[in-house]
Amino acid sequence: MPETTADYRQYLDPRTLARVSGLDLRARLVVEGLMTGMHRSPYQGASVEFAQHRPYVAGDDIRHVDWKVFGKTDKIYLKQYQEETNLHLILVVDASESMGFGSTTSGKHTWSKYDHATAIAASLAYMAIQQQDSVGLAIFDQTLARYFKPSNSPGQWKIIVNEMQVIPRWNKTGTGKVLDQLAEKLHHRSLIVIVSDFFDNLEDITKGLRHLRYKKHEIMAFQVLDPQEIEFPFEDVTLFKGMEDAGELLTEPRSLREGYLEQMKLFTDELKRLCRGMHIDFQRFNSGDTLDIALSQFLATRSASIK
Amino acid sequence: MAIALVMFSGSPPQTSVLAASVITPGFAVAGVVLASIPVIIHLLNRRRFRTVKWAAMDFLLSALKKNRRRVKFEQWLLLATRCAVLALLGLALARPMACDQSGLAAGATRSGLHVLVIDNSYSMAYLANRPGAATHLEHAKNVAKRIVEQLSSGGESVAVITTGKPSAVLLQPTYDLQAAAQAIDRIEQSFSATDVTGALGLAWELGNQSPRQSVRRLEMITDGTRSAWELAERDRLMSIGRELAGIYQIRHVNLAVPDQWNAVVSDVAPAGSIIRVGFNSDLAAHVKSYGRSASAVLQWSMDNEPVTGNTMIEATPDTAPVIQSQARFRDGGAHVVSATFVAGDRLRVDDQRYRVVEVASAMKVLIVEGERGVGAMSSSGAFLELALAPPADAGRSASIGRRSDSYILPERVSDIELGNKVLSDYRAIVLAGVGQIGAGQADLLKRFVEDGGTLLVFMGEPVSSDSYNQVLLPRGLLPGPLTKRMSVAAEQRGFLFDFRPLGALHPVLKVFSGEQKTGLDTAQVFTYWQLELPADAKAERVLDYATTAATADPAITLHPLGGGRVVFISTTANAEWTSLPAKPAYVALVHELLSGSIVGGDEWMNRIVGQTLDLPPNLTFKAVPTLTGPSAQEVQLSQQPLADGRSGYRSSVLAKPGLYSLSTGAATIPIAVNCPADEADIRPAGDAAIRTALGGIEIDLISSDIPAVAEARVGGNDFGWIVMLAVLALVTAESMMAMRFGHHRKGGALR
Repeated sequence: MPETTADYRQYLDPRTLARVSGLDLRARLVVEGLMTGMHRSPYQGASVEFAQHRPYVAGDDIRHVDWKVFGKTDKIYLKQYQEETNLHLILVVDASESMGFGSTTSGKHTWSKYDHATAIAASLAYMAIQQQDSVGLAIFDQTLARYFKPSNSPGQWKIIVNEMQVIPRWNKTGTGKVLDQLAEKLHHRSLIVIVSDFFDNLEDITKGLRHLRYKKHEIMAFQVLDPQEIEFPFEDVTLFKGMEDAGELLTEPRSLREGYLEQMKLFTDELKRLCRGMHIDFQRFNSGDTLDIALSQFLATRSASIK
Repeated sequence: MAIALVMFSGSPPQTSVLAASVITPGFAVAGVVLASIPVIIHLLNRRRFRTVKWAAMDFLLSALKKNRRRVKFEQWLLLATRCAVLALLGLALARPMACDQSGLAAGATRSGLHVLVIDNSYSMAYLANRPGAATHLEHAKNVAKRIVEQLSSGGESVAVITTGKPSAVLLQPTYDLQAAAQAIDRIEQSFSATDVTGALGLAWELGNQSPRQSVRRLEMITDGTRSAWELAERDRLMSIGRELAGIYQIRHVNLAVPDQWNAVVSDVAPAGSIIRVGFNSDLAAHVKSYGRSASAVLQWSMDNEPVTGNTMIEATPDTAPVIQSQARFRDGGAHVVSATFVAGDRLRVDDQRYRVVEVASAMKVLIVEGERGVGAMSSSGAFLELALAPPADAGRSASIGRRSDSYILPERVSDIELGNKVLSDYRAIVLAGVGQIGAGQADLLKRFVEDGGTLLVFMGEPVSSDSYNQVLLPRGLLPGPLTKRMSVAAEQRGFLFDFRPLGALHPVLKVFSGEQKTGLDTAQVFTYWQLELPADAKAERVLDYATTAATADPAITLHPLGGGRVVFISTTANAEWTSLPAKPAYVALVHELLSGSIVGGDEWMNRIVGQTLDLPPNLTFKAVPTLTGPSAQEVQLSQQPLADGRSGYRSSVLAKPGLYSLSTGAATIPIAVNCPADEADIRPAGDAAIRTALGGIEIDLISSDIPAVAEARVGGNDFGWIVMLAVLALVTAESMMAMRFGHHRKGGALR
C-alpha cells in the first residue's frame, strides 16, 4: 500500500532517526519500514533446495545417494543441495574520529556518519538474525577495537546493538591493518560488510581488502559521507580544523570548492576502481539520505549470493 | 578638480595636452574611498571566520596544494576588479572631462551648457543683404542655428536669451536641440534698444544655476554697435563681464559690416513748454547721422498734413536741432507732429519720428483768494487775474466779465469755495493769500499736483505760518517751513529782488535776460515770509532777495511734486506787500511762472518701444478704454493699483513703433511710440571696444562668418559614459570570474 510505504519511509530518514535514541529501535524502524514497502518477502529462498546430481565416488556419504535414480538406472548418483548452513555476516564499522563528523541536524540532534554507519549495521544485523543468519561485528579505528564472533542466537543482535551504542574513542584510522587482522580471525567464508568513510591510505585499504578476498570472503564496501563532504557548501572564510590530527586551514572555501570536489572524486573513483577489480560491491552513501538504499543494496547482494 | 596630462604620441614626437577634469569631484573622491571597501571586507573576513571540524581534510589540503597559486591569483584578480569597479563607478558619476586636441575626445560625449545671447534690438533690422539673410537678425539666427546643429544631442544643453530691451530668457536650458532651433526661429525683430547688461545678467544667472555643467559657453551674436557696447553704465557691464569670464568660455560673433551707417530723427519736441491755439509754435527736431554724414530734406507733417518750408539738412552725429516755426494749430487737444528724414540708409525704422503735442486752447486757472475786498482790485487775486487774462481792449479799465484774447481762463473763488471745485478741471491753482488750508483740501491739492498740475502759492496777510507748516509742508506743497515774516518800517525802503538781467538767470526768467527796464530790480517788497530751504531740498531758487548776508532769502522757488510743480512766492500777488504788480514785468513774470512751471501734459502720450502706456488718473472715461496699435491690433490695457491707492490703466509693453489710438469713450487720443534714440548709433564699436566693455576679459572675437564645425568642437568631452561602459564590462567580467573561480554557488557536487 503506497500510503503505508510512504509512512514508513519517513523512518528511513536520518533526521527522524536522529531523534530516536535507541539503536535497536532505529534498526527495527528501518527494517520494518523497508519490508513494508516491498512486494515480495526477502526471506523467501532461504530454505534447503536441490541443486544437482553427481556420480558416486568412493568415500561419499551414502546418506546423499538418490535411491530412486539408482532403482531406475542402476547407477549411483548423489543428490547435491544448496548449502544449508546460514550466512555469516560480519559487520565492520569504522569508529575513527572522521566518522564522528556530521552536519545533518534535527533540533539539537546531530546525525554523524558514525550514526549512519551504525544504523546501517544494526539494520543489517536485525534482518540477518531474523533469517537465522549468523552476524558478527567488528568496530575499528586505528586498531580492531572490538570484535564479536558471528552468531545467530537471538541475543546476538542485542549485543551488537549495545556495542555500537558505546561512544567511540575517536582515534585515527588504520583500515588496512584492521582488515588484515580481521582476515586472520575469520575462518569461515563470510559476507563482510565494511561501513566506513575510507578516509585512509588507499594502498593500505587495498592491501586489507585483497587479503580478505584471498580468504574467499564476500565483501561489500559501504562508504558513508556527510552531505557537506559531498557538496562542500561553504561560502564565507572558514577555519577548517582537521580531524585525526590533520592540521588546520583558514581559507575562502569558495575558491577551493572545485579543487576539493575534484580531489574527493579522484579518491572515490580510485576506491571504486579498486573494489571493482576485486569484485567487491562498492556503494557510497550520503548520511543525509534515507537508509533504504543501503538495505536494498544488501538484500540484492544477499539474494545474488544465495543463488 | 582639474588634472593636466601631457600626452606624447607618434614619431616625430607630438605633444598634446589633455586637460582633464571632473564635474563632481565628490563622486571621484567617493569612488576612491569606495575602492577600499573590498579590501576592508577582505581583511575583515580574514578576521571574522567560522570554525568547522573537518574530516576530509586531506582532500582540502590537496586541493589547496594543487591550486594555491591559481587561487591566490584569482583572488587578487577579483579583488582588483572589484576595487576598480567601485573606483571607476565613482569616476563615471564624477563625469570626467577631457578636451581639446586629443584624439581621445572623439570617443567621448560632448557636454556642456551653451547660452546663446542673440541681439534682436532694432539696429539688427539693418539690411546687410547677406546671402540667405536680409537683415543682421536673420543672419544672427542662421549663425545660432548653425551652432546648435553642431552640438551633441543629449550631452549639450542650450539656452537662448534675447537682448532687445527688456532682455528675456526665450528658452531655458534644454537638451532638446530641435526645440532650441525652433526657439531661435521664433525670435522676432524687436524695435527696442539693446539691453546688453540685462541679457548678460540673465546669462550669469543661468550659468550659476548650472554649476555642474562641465563646460559653459556663452555665444553672443550682436551687431557690435557703439550704442550697445559704449554704455553709460560701463562699470556695471565690466563687472558682469568679469564675473561671466569666471563661468563661461565667451565668444562674440560680430555681425557689423564696416561701412554701416544710419540716419535718424532722434527727437521731435516743442521748443517751449506750451503750444497755444492760433499761435505759431516752435518745434525742434534732432536729426543725426552715424557712420557718415547724410543729406536729405527733413519733412514735417502735422496731423498727417505736410508742412511747408522743409529744409535740406546735412546730418552728422552732432547736428544742431532743426526748428520748425510754422506749426500753428487751429484747435486745442492732442495733435500729431512727425518729422521724416529719408537719407537712403539701411535702417529705416528710425527715419521717422512722431510726437503728440498737447495744444492749449483754453487753460483754466483757479485763483483762490484769501482776502476779498470791496473794490474790484482789492481782492488778493485781482491783480493776478488781470495779469493772466488782460482785457482784449487794453485801453479800458479792468472790469469783471471783460473779454480777453488770452488762452488762459482764470477763475477767482474765495478759499471757502475751494471745496466745491473739481480741481482736475484746472491746469493750475493759485493760492493768493489764503490764510489756512484744511488737511482734506491739502490732500486734494497734493493729488492735483502729483497728477501733473501746477500750484502757485502767494503769501498774504491772512497766511498762518503754523497752519502752512503743519498742513502744506508735510505734503510737499511748501519747499520749506515759513520761519519769520519780514517787514520794513513804513518810512523805510522795501526789500529788493536780486535780479541781474545780465547775470545768470533761472530758466523761468530767461525772457528777462538782458532786459534792463523790467522793473524787477526796482520792485520793492515791504513784507514777505522768510522761508528756510532745507539743504537737501529739491526746490530751485528762481529769484532771491538782495542781501548783504551770506545767505539770501528766497523770493520765488520752484520744486517738483509727483508729476507737477509747486511755485512759492514769498510776498503777495497784489500790491498789499509789494510794488511788483505795478511794474511792467509783472504780467510777463506771472505768465512765465505759469508756463515755466506747467508740465506739458503730453509726456504720457509719447512713449518709447519697450515702455508701457500709463493713462493719467485724471483722464475722463466714458467707456472702458481701448488701445489700438499701428497695425490696427488691439493692445491690452489692464487696471493697475497706483501708489496713492487709486487705480489706473496700464498697457502691456508697447512693442512696435508708430501711431497708436487710445479711445476713452469721451475722446480718441493719438499715442506716439518711437524707437529708442539711443540705439541709433550703429557705428561698429570694434572688437577691442567690446573686450574693453566686458572688462578686458578673455573672449573669442570672431567675425560674422558662421563658425566652423572644428571651432565648435572645442569644448568639454564627457567620458562618463565610456567609463560607465568600462564599469559594466568590469562588472560582467567580475561576475564571470566569480562564477569561474567558484565564488558563486554552483549546483555541482561530488558525483
